[in-house]
Amino acid sequence: MTEIRLDGLKKRFGSDMAADGTDLTVESGEYLCILGPTGAGKTTLMRMICGLTEPDEGRVFFGDQDVTYLDTAERGATMLSQTYALFPNMRVKENVLFGSWIKGWPEEESQQLARNILSMMHMESRSKAYPDELSGGQQQRIALARALASGSRVLLLDEPLRALDARLRLELRKDLKGMVKAMGLTAIHVTHDQDEALEMADRIAVLRAGRIIQVGTPKEVFEDPKTPFVANFVGRSNMIQCRVVQSAEGKVVLENEGGLRMEAKDGGQPPGTEVLMAVKVGNTKISTKLPGYFEGRVEKILYEGATITAEVMVKGLGLVYSKLPNRKFDDFREGNTVSVNWSPEKARVFDIPEGGIEYEIRVD
Amino acid sequence: MPHVRLENITMRFGDITAVRDIDLEIRNGEYVTILGPSGCGKTTLIKIVAGILRPTEGRLFVDGKDVTDVPLEDRDTGYVFQNIALFPHMTIRGNAEYGPKVHSLEGREAEATAQEYLMLVDMLDKAGHFPRELSGGDQQKAALARALASGSRMLMLDEPLSALDARVRMELRYEIRRIVKRLGITVLHVTHDQEEAMSVSDRIILMRKGKIFETGTPLEMYRSPKSIFAAYFIGETNLMECTVESKRKEGGVILRLRNDVLVNVSKSKANVGDIAILSVRPEHVYTATDGLRAHVRDVVFMGTYWRVRTEAESQDYVDYNIPADSEVPEMGEQVYLVFNKKASRVFKRPKDGLTEAIKLE
Repeated sequence: MTEIRLDGLKKRFGSDMAADGTDLTVESGEYLCILGPTGAGKTTLMRMICGLTEPDEGRVFFGDQDVTYLDTAERGATMLSQTYALFPNMRVKENVLFGSWIKGWPEEESQQLARNILSMMHMESRSKAYPDELSGGQQQRIALARALASGSRVLLLDEPLRALDARLRLELRKDLKGMVKAMGLTAIHVTHDQDEALEMADRIAVLRAGRIIQVGTPKEVFEDPKTPFVANFVGRSNMIQCRVVQSAEGKVVLENEGGLRMEAKDGGQPPGTEVLMAVKVGNTKISTKLPGYFEGRVEKILYEGATITAEVMVKGLGLVYSKLPNRKFDDFREGNTVSVNWSPEKARVFDIPEGGIEYEIRVD
Repeated sequence: MPHVRLENITMRFGDITAVRDIDLEIRNGEYVTILGPSGCGKTTLIKIVAGILRPTEGRLFVDGKDVTDVPLEDRDTGYVFQNIALFPHMTIRGNAEYGPKVHSLEGREAEATAQEYLMLVDMLDKAGHFPRELSGGDQQKAALARALASGSRMLMLDEPLSALDARVRMELRYEIRRIVKRLGITVLHVTHDQEEAMSVSDRIILMRKGKIFETGTPLEMYRSPKSIFAAYFIGETNLMECTVESKRKEGGVILRLRNDVLVNVSKSKANVGDIAILSVRPEHVYTATDGLRAHVRDVVFMGTYWRVRTEAESQDYVDYNIPADSEVPEMGEQVYLVFNKKASRVFKRPKDGLTEAIKLE
């Protein structure tokens, strides 16, 4: 069942198109992430969904009902904004229980729910504290707990984990999604963090400059990006400008300015076309033994935990990055000559973007 | 280039001790990161080293000289804040020239210095812009150029990337490291983000509750953490309660998990009968035809791999990774898990229990 439908939403602030004809459907029980850089229009979109900003054009539907001009309170959605406010004169638990009191839920059930949510937020021990006794990250978690316990079927979360420490964020990703799913809620979650979106979302909508560029499951968005921007924003990519030399059997042979040859999945461009090729750093392999498309010199190996990142300087191309499992760490030394390789089906070919390559692959 | 030494540094604010008995040496040209959760004292510590705060007790030496009482303006330190602190009414070039001019360099010399550092951070083409016209990432690069152009041989980075988008952060951390390494300057960088610390540091100082908890290179901290907290905080890990069943000749031990499944670990100092915690990172858990029985509870796409979350018969939640191309197990499917015995770590069970040992605040 469709829970929320956006139909051609437009919103202009001065010369800025914050929303440029946005269509989006969110299914009941779905966890959808809107992912994009700062300034992409994520918050404006959320405000239009929950009724805090009126669109210039387009409609917002909740189920079958057109709610475009309906007040926030009448939409039955709870929004957690980046600038949330807790009730300063209420203790943590009272803040969390506020929604269920308003709705007159049975006391015992509400108490149990509040306990569960506070425990998930690692905040049980502070349930008697007042907001001003808590750190910023703790307040953020209480605001999140209050939103979860509000009794709304639809949650609109604007960067709900941004203010938290990195390690805590990792924990809460799992817990928050688990809680939303267990309670059967529908959630739209805005974030600039591609790892967060990959890990939490059922589907991701990638937003840039007021436009939704791609909607898909995390796997689709990561493995089958529609534009070079998506290829580089969701997981880092090596981006190489080159020309199609020949195409056969679903593959193309490419050559760059420096005369280096490589392969990628056929994107339909005929031989002679200038293209931009993108291959994820995690799909870019290096080897001291096996042959590859070209060779380079290992400038730096960074041990990053589960993975290592090698920076390889390639003559006639520049720096190429390779992200490998940490067990490969002992296979390479700085200064090594290595071959660079990838499976052609992991590399995507795009037309040269209209706005120029530099603008297209900017991440901010 | 400066060598920094902290001796018994303690800082109290009223009744609260923010940092306690810190001894620390930072070598010439070393990139050291102070990592820890909110409230661990890391910001207080960097402010003491920079000269913004004067410690309640202890001494601070730079190149053997006691600088504890030397005020901030007489220290040779560049400082980059979390909240970008460029002069808003000056262009990026004006900001970069500010330091050299204060150090009373001749006009042309100041310009040349600013030019050099703007080039280094790749901001020359935006030198004429005002800060508000730039993205957060570019502003922070300009702030770095300004800090470096003042001629400091020591750079203090106080959560320099925290206010930026995740994707920008990822680009900038590689860039910052490359720039400071080229210059060979000494860096002290404060962050709560373990991935950031792993990517930039020569050495990580892990802090908790005002104290240094553990130090080591990223490799040491990840591969051979000395504490449960380090194993948990730096990277992800599966933690399982167990007892030490028996010792083996080669120095290994056999552990008994809660469901009586036995697990081999190749190296451990634990004694027979000890109550212990086994730590195995998700990339060191594999599936096999026999082993710890578990049921798949969730499968999450993480980009280049799938994270499989299971609930084991030992009542532990155990995560493992499979490549992105693999066939994904069904929800509820039964799997058998085995652990890489060389990469498994055994810790003594902490007195206050596991939850307390990994508490983030």
